[in-house]
Amino acid sequence: MAKILIVDDEEGIRMLYSMELQDEGYDVITLPDGRELLSVVDRENPDCIILDIKMKDFNGLDLLQQIRKKYYDLPVILNSAYSSFKVDLKAVAADYYVVKSSDLRELKEKLKVALETRIPAE
Amino acid sequence: MKFIEDNPDGITRADIVVGIPSYNEASSISYPTQQADKGLKKYYSDKSAVIINCDNHSPDNTRQAFMTTETTTPKIYISTEEGITGKGNNVRNLLAKAVELSAKAIVLIDADLRSITPLWIRNLGEPLFEQYQFVSPLYVRHKYDGPITNSIAYPLTRALYGRRVRQPIGGDYGFSGELAKIFLETDAWSDSISSFGIDIWMTTTSVRNHVAVVQAFMGRPKVHKVKDILQDSDTLFSDVISTIFELMCRYENFWRDVKWSRPTAVFGFGVGDVEVPPPVNVDVRLLSQKFQSGTLEQWDKYKVLLSPENIHKLEEVTELSPEGFEFPTGLWAKILFDFAVAYKNRVLAPGELVSTLKPLFYGRILSFVLESQAMNTQQVEEYIEDQCLQFEKAKPYLLERWFS
Repeated sequence: MAKILIVDDEEGIRMLYSMELQDEGYDVITLPDGRELLSVVDRENPDCIILDIKMKDFNGLDLLQQIRKKYYDLPVILNSAYSSFKVDLKAVAADYYVVKSSDLRELKEKLKVALETRIPAE
Repeated sequence: MKFIEDNPDGITRADIVVGIPSYNEASSISYPTQQADKGLKKYYSDKSAVIINCDNHSPDNTRQAFMTTETTTPKIYISTEEGITGKGNNVRNLLAKAVELSAKAIVLIDADLRSITPLWIRNLGEPLFEQYQFVSPLYVRHKYDGPITNSIAYPLTRALYGRRVRQPIGGDYGFSGELAKIFLETDAWSDSISSFGIDIWMTTTSVRNHVAVVQAFMGRPKVHKVKDILQDSDTLFSDVISTIFELMCRYENFWRDVKWSRPTAVFGFGVGDVEVPPPVNVDVRLLSQKFQSGTLEQWDKYKVLLSPENIHKLEEVTELSPEGFEFPTGLWAKILFDFAVAYKNRVLAPGELVSTLKPLFYGRILSFVLESQAMNTQQVEEYIEDQCLQFEKAKPYLLERWFS
């Protein structure tokens, strides 16, 4: 069972995503901000992170840079209510960028693809 | 490969090397040399450094222009023997020299760069002193600049090898001394790799060898000589496409197992405002003419090279009016895959096959120009991302044709 880490400062979003993704068979863990992100990733070893961008004290794009420095190949899906952050080149380091919606089909589809992605090992 | 060397300071070791490949760049090489010198002084003052011009024995005296450029960093001039040209040959000589100098980091920049700043040297070099081994450039380009990159090299490389490297033939790179050894030890240096195929070869070899790749944000757009889509030399097109197809044959056991694609980390933010790239003009009428006349001329070959389904769809495309012209992305991807399969099966001689593709490339560019007329840079990037996804989705078609 793939383990998904959701990082979002909105409790409603964390609950909605958790329920929807658990229904799809995923194991879900959540964080309300980026404070302990790297240590949680270290400990929980998630298969994919769904990362909000505009959080109260954190910028998801900066967190993405930190993730990439340490976890070069960990799938990350940026998830924001705003499409405008797509113009920020930092977003290039994410696997996918999905604009928030109550319809989670796009997010689920991208999550599936992110988990399926394969680059053969040496 | 032997090279001629002028090393007036007798440099025998260097932590970082900036290499500038050239052929007849006497009028332009001083500027990037000066910027490299400034970058090395500002950001690598604690490291030993050298600037190397790797040249093709240019008759315009590039050597003198380079060696007389005032720098505090020592300079070395190396050249292929007279009569041997090709960027790839220059890079190969640079690799050998950099390994000889025990360089930890090598930064490669074009000799005709007009927009390079010292920051480019930092951004292309610094990741090499961290965990990365290959640094590819990331710059904002005008939507019509880099048509081979946007329509072929980026989507194909991404779909084949699974790594999103936005400028796989960007021309400006950084790589570690370790990777330089891997490059040198790679056996087959074909004619196309020894020429303009070198860039896509380095990118593909890096991804294939699982080295840590990062994209360095340059801040300024790449401004250099030319560029008109129709004036992009036949050699560039031919070398890049031949190299891509050749590497597909060589690495088929690697890319057959790649599914979808992964992003590449980005380095080098905080460079201030990003400048708008200079405009690139496109002659739509001429593109249309070249597509129409070229497809007519090559039609019999297309009937042999393309699958029946694709030849039928291509026929529909040729019948479209200039105002409503569109060359669908999915068809373009499958046509490129058909050509790759034909290259593998030697249906035509490689050179002939690649030149047969060119009218279709003009058609695809025409379609892109018409579709993107009202788009801004960001919208074009989204268009290109969507195009890449379509290439990735079409990959099962390639697998079926290639391995059946």
